[in-house]
Amino acid sequence: MSLYELFGSLETGFIFGIVALGAYLTFQILDFPDLTVEGSFPLGAAVAAVLIVSAGLNPWLATFAAGLAGFVAGFITAYLNVRFKILHILAGILVAISLYSINLRIMGGPNKPLLGVDTVFTAFEGLGVRSYIVSPIFLGVFALCLKLALDLLLATGVGISMRAAGVNPAMAEANGVNVGNMKLLGVGLANFLTAIAGALFAQVFGAADAYMGIGVIIVGLASVIVGMSILPSRTIFLATIACIAGAILYRLAVAAALNAGFIGLHASDVQLVTAVLVAIALIAQHSGLPFLRLRRKGGDK
Amino acid sequence: MIRLADVHVTFNRGTPMETRALRGINLHVPKGEFLTVIGSNGAGKSTCLNVIAGLCRAEAGSVTVDGRDMTGWPVHRRARHLSRVFQDPKMGTCEDLTILENFALAHARTRPRGLRLALTRAMREDAADRLRLLGLGLEDRLGDKVGLLSGGQRQAVSLLMATTGETKVLLLDEHTAALDPKTGEFVLDLTKSLVRDLGLTAVMVTHSMVQALHTGERTIMFHRGRIVFDAKGPERDRMQVADLLALFKREQGEELADDSLLLD
Repeated sequence: MSLYELFGSLETGFIFGIVALGAYLTFQILDFPDLTVEGSFPLGAAVAAVLIVSAGLNPWLATFAAGLAGFVAGFITAYLNVRFKILHILAGILVAISLYSINLRIMGGPNKPLLGVDTVFTAFEGLGVRSYIVSPIFLGVFALCLKLALDLLLATGVGISMRAAGVNPAMAEANGVNVGNMKLLGVGLANFLTAIAGALFAQVFGAADAYMGIGVIIVGLASVIVGMSILPSRTIFLATIACIAGAILYRLAVAAALNAGFIGLHASDVQLVTAVLVAIALIAQHSGLPFLRLRRKGGDK
Repeated sequence: MIRLADVHVTFNRGTPMETRALRGINLHVPKGEFLTVIGSNGAGKSTCLNVIAGLCRAEAGSVTVDGRDMTGWPVHRRARHLSRVFQDPKMGTCEDLTILENFALAHARTRPRGLRLALTRAMREDAADRLRLLGLGLEDRLGDKVGLLSGGQRQAVSLLMATTGETKVLLLDEHTAALDPKTGEFVLDLTKSLVRDLGLTAVMVTHSMVQALHTGERTIMFHRGRIVFDAKGPERDRMQVADLLALFKREQGEELADDSLLLD
């Protein structure tokens, strides 16, 4: 693997690390398997691209607006579940499917190029460092900031309520926690993060695309599983580090698999590689290979 | 403090499984009273507690606690005014959270902390002070996840959590039934002293007749969705399990199916 590919893996790794933080919030903290992200990732990209290109908005504001759009998407999924008792997975699929059409409308077509416009990366140009080095560093700092913000949120009164609502809803209710509201907020925030990641992805790779959401949920989940399988995750602080590290390791694993020429894999096989890697990680957990086993909830001794 | 007025609850209405769990319950528990509730399986005692806690909606009648009509309130809103300890020690505490975080959650029951940090120094000291009373050494394990504690320890922590803050009403649902006898006794003694020291109004559902008669100051018995027996004062003090069974037979004209009730 070349240095260039290594930095490329770090770049996408940090972006998907943000997705992984969202997946951690929904799958691990809230026990709410949320599939909305398949739609909210390209939604973030589409909103940011259109706001930057067509509206000429400041790229930072456009990225934040993309996050807000993601929050709304996640909120709708959780609302379908909480208010109308639609199965969480189904609610997520419904919103993700509808977002596919919505994204086409936002972009006015299947994609939106971001060429020759200012992005959040523009500010770091002209520092004398090559862009393929600058952007992973910037994304790394950005992902860590989001990680710390998430850590902080989960240490507040609301955060503890959210964690209790996921692990033991009956107990949370008995302690005055409105479990439904926690799901609305948590799933909304997870999709806020995912849409931010989508917006950054579009700015790094120069285009938003209606199809770029395919498999995002598996990548996010894979990062959480890989990270928490091999790194300590006793505390929230460690667990969120594990999510981001897992995303990077996962990207490196995919890059390595695609690079191993003798296997004969092409870039188009990336989804297959993803699925196989996740399946292996899950099987390893189940069969109890100690180094891959996801720590049982609360069972860290 | 707690007042139930003509409360009716029916499960599976309109099906062959229809069960009239509560048939017009009228109950008043004055402030500071410790009431014990007994009855066989399906008699309605747990349903009665669930109606007060909000887990089960009264289809007719009203539930008033501390002067507030809570009949239509959801569980989490009622939790501001009453607290609960569950039968299953795993239910009363959150295993993924540390002991201190569990206390913080319980504190937020009456005073929500919103976006302020959940753990404060004052809370840490308060939790340690209260845990020290248990004599289990838990005050030195505030950072341990609750999942690491034994059932008895978790139930003791649940009790402390349920009596933290400005609690006035405590609901106990067979909270010693899942513990071994020695631990159960420890938790029951803790319950008695907490209720007495904090001047709480408490309702304890139990399967054990002896426990019902020897805890608190008033005992009621449920049978087929009705209160068939209500004793307090000297009458109750003199009462033995045999008297309770005889009384039941006279009132109901049938033997009490005591397979599910513990006579000892």
